[in-house]
Amino acid sequence: MVARADLMAFETGRSPAVQITQRQRWSIAFSYMLILGGLLLGANQRDGLLNQTSVYTNNAAGITASYPARWLLDESEGTVFRVRDMSRLGFNTTIEVRSLPVGADGAERNLLDHLSLQRSQVFIDYSVLGYDTFLLPDDTQAISMTYTFVSRDASPFLEGVSSIVNGLDILAIRRGQALIVSFRAESSIYQRELATFHRFINNLEF
Amino acid sequence: MAQFPRFNVSSGAESYGVLPVWRRFSILVSAIILVCGITILSGEALPATRDADFNRIAALMLTSLPVLLWLLLSVLPEARVDRPRRRLIGVAVVSGLTASAIGLPLAEGFFVVDQWLPLQSVFQRIVGYTLTAGVIDVGLRFLVLRYLIYPQALRVRSDGVAYALAAAIGYSFYLTLVWVWRLEPTWNQAAVYALFSFTIQTASSLFIALGIIESYFGDAFPLVLPFNLLIAMLVAGIIQALLPGLLSGPLSQAGSGDRPLFGLLFLAASMTVSVGIAYFLYSNSERREREAYGSQGGSDGF
Repeated sequence: MVARADLMAFETGRSPAVQITQRQRWSIAFSYMLILGGLLLGANQRDGLLNQTSVYTNNAAGITASYPARWLLDESEGTVFRVRDMSRLGFNTTIEVRSLPVGADGAERNLLDHLSLQRSQVFIDYSVLGYDTFLLPDDTQAISMTYTFVSRDASPFLEGVSSIVNGLDILAIRRGQALIVSFRAESSIYQRELATFHRFINNLEF
Repeated sequence: MAQFPRFNVSSGAESYGVLPVWRRFSILVSAIILVCGITILSGEALPATRDADFNRIAALMLTSLPVLLWLLLSVLPEARVDRPRRRLIGVAVVSGLTASAIGLPLAEGFFVVDQWLPLQSVFQRIVGYTLTAGVIDVGLRFLVLRYLIYPQALRVRSDGVAYALAAAIGYSFYLTLVWVWRLEPTWNQAAVYALFSFTIQTASSLFIALGIIESYFGDAFPLVLPFNLLIAMLVAGIIQALLPGLLSGPLSQAGSGDRPLFGLLFLAASMTVSVGIAYFLYSNSERREREAYGSQGGSDGF
């Protein structure tokens, strides 16, 4: 049956040099429009789902934040809360919020040094890359610290390859309370994921 | 006033001068499903090997299988006919290059589908894959066909199917090769992916071919071609959205296992249904054209 259909094939009367008709031009133009429209809709859907957020409120700490909806939230000890992108293989991109009481003479730099001392005992090959100022959405100045360390799978049975992680801490002191917002991501995707962190900071209220 | 018929029925000699497509196409599809199916079944029955070299060689052989069979069944026989399709290799190569230069970077770098689509509901996954991977794959292959064969290399309807298959072969070969190279799968996993990639690109290519054929040979209404492209995108989206769920086994205390047989059955069914529908529409439109010519010719005395 298949072969018969091929034997009954038709030849067009047109030569290959013949131009396409006006109707065919329109159909090609509509096809281009469909492809462009599809790509735009796809980009729109991607943005909608990638940037979808959930709201976290902690009245005790006085914090309200919008975090990526597909990330996992936990309120582990030592932090106000932490959200992680569990869909990522290797090191899970993390945003962590901590709150510490500070004295009247508590300097921001001292707090960051204290954090560094703590981390150097926990993280492998922890190293501070630098300090800078960071402008918060309400136009107040905060201090930022960038650092790097090596992350290894907790379970030795998984035989995973270690990853290099880049981190960024933002520290702001308000009414005797220091708020430290930390962002950590694998160095290969750090710059790309930084946009997510900036959106998080822009919507953070404390 | 006499009206000249739009199409001429080819004489027997002219028809024989062009290589038939559908029979070779069905042999190609059956052979790929058979080889991949046997490999997947063997993977279920035999213990898995962790020999990286063996797995890589087997995976590369399975990746090359559609290309080799296509060269054997479709390209080499063209040399024996009077009027061969000369652009088959060119279409396949350019399709592979567009997948490499645009398709994969766009899907992975810009749409980052792996980050947001796999965790969505089935409906959202179908829509998502249709609007991202489906649009990219089908759109690029349509552009390749538009600029390489439409209309200059179209002589008979079967040319559309032959060139669309060439585009699918080139495109799916590159995608499978990248996956095999990156993930170093076991040989039976490579069979699932080779069949998966071939089925998606070939099933959707058939609908691109139908659109081009109707548009060029039937001078169809301008929305027929984009509608066929839309169907092609949807076919790609549905297969891509449903397969991972079928391949993954249910969660249990012992963990979750793979179900490659489900994947094999789904891909074989998807391919059969797509080829069946495409062939029905193809032969139906050809019959209508012949009848239209017959009535026109009869009234005009041709």
